[in-house]
Amino acid sequence: MTDGTLRRGNPASVTEPYPEGGLALGAERSQQIHWCAAGSPIDCPAVAAVRATGLVKRFETTTAVDGVDLVVAPGEVRGLLGPNGAGKTTLLRILFGLIRPDAGEVELFGRELSDLGQSALDGVAGFVEEPAFYPYLSGRANLRLLARLDGNTATAEEIEDALTRVDLSPRADARLSVYSTGMRQRLGIAAALVRRPRLLLLDEPTSGLDPAGARAVAALVQELAADGVAILLSSHQIGELEKVCSAYTVLRDGRVVWDGTAAELEEQAPVSAYVLTTSDDAHAFRIAAEQPGIRAELTPTGGLTVAAAPQQLDAVVLALGDARVIIRRLELLVSPLEAMFFALTADERLDGLAPQELAAKVLAPA
Amino acid sequence: MSALAGASELAVPRRAAGDGFTNAYRAELQKLLAQLTTRLVALFAVIGPFAFAAVLKVQSGTPSDALFGAWVHSSGFAISLVILGFAGTWGFPIIAGVLVGDLFASEDRHGTWKTILTRSCTREDVFTGKLAAAGTVTIAASLLLAASSLLAGIALVGAQPLVNFSGVLSSSGHVLALTLVSWLYCLLPVLAYTSLAILFSVATRNGILGVLGPLIVALLTQLLDLIGKGVIVHTLLIGSAFDGWHGLFVNHPFFGPFLASGFVCLVWIAVCLGVSWRILRRRDFLTRSDAGRTSWTAPLRVVVAAAAAVAILALCASLGPTGVTARRVSHAIGAEFNNVTLLQQQLIGRQVPAGAKLDILPTCNRRAAAAIGPGDWNCNIYVYLPQPNAVPFQQTAVEYDVSVEYNGCYKAQSPPAFLGGPTMRNARGRNVTNPLYIVYGCFNEF
Repeated sequence: MTDGTLRRGNPASVTEPYPEGGLALGAERSQQIHWCAAGSPIDCPAVAAVRATGLVKRFETTTAVDGVDLVVAPGEVRGLLGPNGAGKTTLLRILFGLIRPDAGEVELFGRELSDLGQSALDGVAGFVEEPAFYPYLSGRANLRLLARLDGNTATAEEIEDALTRVDLSPRADARLSVYSTGMRQRLGIAAALVRRPRLLLLDEPTSGLDPAGARAVAALVQELAADGVAILLSSHQIGELEKVCSAYTVLRDGRVVWDGTAAELEEQAPVSAYVLTTSDDAHAFRIAAEQPGIRAELTPTGGLTVAAAPQQLDAVVLALGDARVIIRRLELLVSPLEAMFFALTADERLDGLAPQELAAKVLAPA
Repeated sequence: MSALAGASELAVPRRAAGDGFTNAYRAELQKLLAQLTTRLVALFAVIGPFAFAAVLKVQSGTPSDALFGAWVHSSGFAISLVILGFAGTWGFPIIAGVLVGDLFASEDRHGTWKTILTRSCTREDVFTGKLAAAGTVTIAASLLLAASSLLAGIALVGAQPLVNFSGVLSSSGHVLALTLVSWLYCLLPVLAYTSLAILFSVATRNGILGVLGPLIVALLTQLLDLIGKGVIVHTLLIGSAFDGWHGLFVNHPFFGPFLASGFVCLVWIAVCLGVSWRILRRRDFLTRSDAGRTSWTAPLRVVVAAAAAVAILALCASLGPTGVTARRVSHAIGAEFNNVTLLQQQLIGRQVPAGAKLDILPTCNRRAAAAIGPGDWNCNIYVYLPQPNAVPFQQTAVEYDVSVEYNGCYKAQSPPAFLGGPTMRNARGRNVTNPLYIVYGCFNEF
């Protein structure tokens, strides 16, 4: 959770739009909703974008979500991680009101989802699994239809702008039935954008996208988060999550097994693996091997791999400098998040593994 | 992706304008009107009656098994009413099924429940919006069919008076009014079939069953009409409501079936929509894999429940009194024979005093073991004609083969040897429909 974006305040006292983009909405409803941009100078109400407590969902004999607590603050990009069947999609469906939990409560911007049904989703957008649209309509007509369901809050220009942002404008009038998976994914993001969301729930948003598209989504996510939009991102692409997430929630068998900020994760992560290429790899190998708690291996293609905690790697780098060994390349082979994810979701220990062995285990496809 | 605009442009969230129901209704209409099936149904509703009327125009045959079918060359209104009869049997269930049967199930097929339910509409908004859109398109298609059938009939045949179910020639204006009322009345059972299609669509989550459901129910209705003699089960079927307008086309209209069927339709609508909402309100919208695992459970349950309901109805089909009795058939045929005989005399140019009445004795018997109930009947009508040389009069027996429906409507046909063929020459030497050859009538079963 990012401190400073959630602040105590009295929602009832806020009736005027915030000057920096936040807005008091839904006055006609029984509860008010207040949004506050990150870093707003005024006293923002203490309303989390998502506050879920004790969520439980059972399907016949399995418990898909088992006592999950989750808080997503405005401006926070929270990664939702977990192996297949961990309950990520079920959790997102509960947050969208598509599934009713057997126990627990969900508040979106302070409004209980169970009380207000889908009307609590004002300001919330995104998709679960792959985005789905009507194949007999064009991409643009699909967005118009969805805007109509939103009460025509998006103008034609705004729809065009959303299509442009996801690079779909040239194909917007083609029928959806001819769209590729990646194009549908981009249309899903455009459909979320036309709602002008304050909370984005995205399930594998880069699935089916080419690397450039994935990078653009990451940039968009960062841009929206900087503007105070809360984002909950579920993905198997750990590398992509690392680029944008400021906090993580890791699920396993329907339970939260880790929850914290990116900095906390880095601190608590088990050893990571690095690829190191130097001006004298043999010497570098000897130096690394002498450091306590570090395992190093020379690779047949040149360079070496090192398994170390981040602080331990610092010592290796300093020692190499002292020995006047020039570091030409230092890359993460197994990131702290990947190592942490493996440690939390697998029953195997990573301590004492050689770097290549560590990489083979952690990076092996599930 | 390129050309990312400043995120601040998206910073101000806005509340949905208008109410959720209206937004959902408009969105559903947009979807329905974009679909090929909707356009094809509309096209069929416009072109179909004209094609039907044109085919009849170029051939001498008539769809005489349908009520008013023998009169299609004599009055354009008969064409509209024949089409109404066909539509009540098959057309309206097909229209309801094709237009609406996939309305809810398509959201499952396309996986779009999650798309629409995560916008600014509640489930209630989406449900009521879909209902309103479904009602709008089915009513629009029905009215289109009504307008087209009337226009086709009047344009290709003419707006001549029509012989009613009492054997009396009704004026064009009167028949036009009754025809319009009949089409409008049939909107009630159309909405009942629409509700049934919605229930199939929601309960089975299967578009095929949603589309075919009303048609299968219509088929089963036909079968139940064949096997049962009792009034109770027939009155409870949606299909029977399409007969409610028959009572308007007699000299002394009867409204029992009209009102009872209307009430039954309202009950069907309330039950179907109530159950549909209950299913949808409680439903979890799961992942596709979860849905795939149970994709045949829901349809199977619905099919089993429907089969059980049909079996119960079949067992009860003969419960209650039968409205088709020898006394009613004889009375109706006798009175109508009197009127059509007078009409025939007028057509051939004979002066018939107002209120003239034949001295007749109708005797009708069912051609089966049971003496009552729908089916094939035989009627002998003994006519006592005053003759100058006869003492005191001459007796003539006219025989009719009568096919009586469960709803009290009948078609009586006489062998040509008795009363001439389907057509005859009128006083002006023109070929006209012989009103005595085929006689249509309806009596009150209640």
